[in-house]
Amino acid sequence: MIQKPNKRYDRLSTASKKRLVIESDSVLNELQKESAGTIPGMDYFYGLARSYSRGELSKQDKKKYIATSCVQVPIELIYAAGAVPVRTCSGSHSMSQAGAEFLPAKSCSLVSATFGTIYTDSIPVPSKPVAIINPTTCDQKKKLSEIPSGMDIPYYTLELPPTKDSEEAQMYWYSSVKKFSRDLEGITGKRITRSRLKAAILKVAKAQQAFRQLHQIRKEHPSMRGTDAILVANTFFYDDIDSWTQHVDSLNHELAQGLHRDPGISDNNAPRILLTGSPSIFPNFKLPVMIEAMGGHIVADEFCSSNRLLYDTVAVDEWNMYDMIPALADRYLKACTCPCFTPNQDRDRKLLSYIKDFRVDGLVYQTFSGCQLYELESSRIGSLMEQENIPMLYIETDYSPDDRGQLSTRIEAFIESLSARK
Amino acid sequence: MNNLQRYINNANISRFRLIFQILAFLLLIYGGYLSIHIGTSIPTFACPYNQECPGTCYLISAQHQLHNTWSDLFGFRGKAFLTGFITFVLLFLVINKAWCGYVCPLGTIQDWITKLRNFLGVKFSRYDELSFKRLKIIKFVLLILLVLIPLGMSNSLLGLPLFSHDLSAPFCQICPGRVITPLFIGDTSQLLVDFTNPTTMIMSTLGILVLALFFIGSFFKKRFFCFFCPMSALHFLFSSIAFLRLNKKGENCTRCGNCYRVCDVGIKAIAEDLEHTYMVKDDCMLCLKCVEACPENDCLKASFLTIPVFSSTEEGFFKRNLHLDHEMQNPSNQSNNEDITKNDDSKTK
Repeated sequence: MIQKPNKRYDRLSTASKKRLVIESDSVLNELQKESAGTIPGMDYFYGLARSYSRGELSKQDKKKYIATSCVQVPIELIYAAGAVPVRTCSGSHSMSQAGAEFLPAKSCSLVSATFGTIYTDSIPVPSKPVAIINPTTCDQKKKLSEIPSGMDIPYYTLELPPTKDSEEAQMYWYSSVKKFSRDLEGITGKRITRSRLKAAILKVAKAQQAFRQLHQIRKEHPSMRGTDAILVANTFFYDDIDSWTQHVDSLNHELAQGLHRDPGISDNNAPRILLTGSPSIFPNFKLPVMIEAMGGHIVADEFCSSNRLLYDTVAVDEWNMYDMIPALADRYLKACTCPCFTPNQDRDRKLLSYIKDFRVDGLVYQTFSGCQLYELESSRIGSLMEQENIPMLYIETDYSPDDRGQLSTRIEAFIESLSARK
Repeated sequence: MNNLQRYINNANISRFRLIFQILAFLLLIYGGYLSIHIGTSIPTFACPYNQECPGTCYLISAQHQLHNTWSDLFGFRGKAFLTGFITFVLLFLVINKAWCGYVCPLGTIQDWITKLRNFLGVKFSRYDELSFKRLKIIKFVLLILLVLIPLGMSNSLLGLPLFSHDLSAPFCQICPGRVITPLFIGDTSQLLVDFTNPTTMIMSTLGILVLALFFIGSFFKKRFFCFFCPMSALHFLFSSIAFLRLNKKGENCTRCGNCYRVCDVGIKAIAEDLEHTYMVKDDCMLCLKCVEACPENDCLKASFLTIPVFSSTEEGFFKRNLHLDHEMQNPSNQSNNEDITKNDDSKTK
């Protein structure tokens, strides 16, 4: 174990940060080269991703930051407590290598990258986060907080039930979220009042409205590459939320007019692909970029980092604390399709509805080696796809670029077979 | 037509309901002053104990008409009963259980009490799943009793002696409507315990107890009384063939639970049931709050004789929800604008 601070730690931290810039730039350059600026609205999001990798996010400096290790954290509460949430989930290969030192060999890349980001102090915000909120979702994430690494940011364990259908599980989650709201007040030193929480819910609802509009537009006018859409959702935590929302609105406006069309998907007959499984988090766009470079068109994705983060809404009946907090809790539990819940038939239904709505030709199922939950669900989803007569490509991969050659052959063959079926 | 449909789907039905309820309340409480008469088979609490009520709740008519011997019931009195019954069913079929959600004055009073509680910031309570299942039977038991007791006053049921005539219209004796609706025209004569004989004493005491429960219960639990209302049970028998319908398209449902959250009577099936399409359950009052809270296009839909009346849409959901944002003070908007300009500045640097 590397003690902090020491020379080796400093070298590791600096090197990882530099490599993160290189990784991000190579992905972004590729994306921007392909699209050649056809959708001007995307420039803002490319810019955000670039400044994220350089740790230059322009968030409000005076505010306190609270890191979240998973999308299951009710961010509205964090806003209401006067802090700004920031994501630690990372798609960086260099970060996953930095984190891998502390984790078992078979850990998933996403978890080791998350740990690496925290450990090397690479959370791209002006001041150090005051806490890391760690929900008890998958086993690997949940045990992160116990790894001795000499870190100085306290972890907060947010208890999430392992099932979501029973009344008991829902009650447990309600009380867990309620307790979280009280503890947050202690962490930030600011009270969560009725009006602040209402403002926070509506602020996030605006972002959700914009995001859902983008989702609808992709359904009706598929003029945007799926990789770009994944990037848009990924940048949600990289800027002030209102500014992000505004830019998504103008992107929607541009796309809805149908003026711009990405040259990468000019072919209307390109096989329409639905991407699901372990989430592609920036800069790990290995799979989506490859699929679209090979002539596939990712029309939709079922990732926690995009759809699950923003799609589900909050419905409050009485705008008092006693109703707002359970309403918030519901948003993060009931419609959630994370495989950490069992049973998780809602995921099947969601995939089927996407297949129908987006007229999907084939499903690509990504799992990161070591992500048992997505691996375990793959057989169920596989047989479901067989039933529906939708070809599925199951890909087990990680953040390293080593398997690119092997993957490109498989993806090319898959896309060709889809084209042949059309 | 599409524009009209869109306008309606974006509308705030709860506000419309609030206004409609007030008008219906005024009609059913004070209609008599205008010499309006709307019949004796009204499928909601139009209580004739209130002198100025323009009609008669079907429950009281039914209890009186059933207070007859078998031979009479199968004779000319049966005809009267049948006419009343058919009128009731026909009236009911038009708007289904919206009679409860939009017209019933007792329901309206409970909604006002809920508004008061909300204003005071007192938390509402909810039954857990098991209590919900057990307690919902009560209204059917009451319905059976209000049919059997009047029959038992003129006929011997299973060899029992005839019931006392003081039990006439037994449900009305414990119904809070009998006491509450006259109060609105300043008549407090029903607010008493009748000491004439043990039967009247027991019944009128029960009535006062139910009245107290009505106010206390509906303060803490939305639509507390409706859950036990035999009228609601009687409605349910014909609900599946009614013209105004609430349907669900299970494949569009994400099970986000929004509809169940806002449901005043706490019907869980609306969120969980993905197979059945007809969603008017025994406790439903067709207030359509669930449709308002559903963010999925066309998942929940109210229709009248297959013509869609009000559907859930994403646009409508956000419009209703974010409308609240404009009602909030400007300072928050101002600070947002500052943030944006700050960001722009930092980018230009």
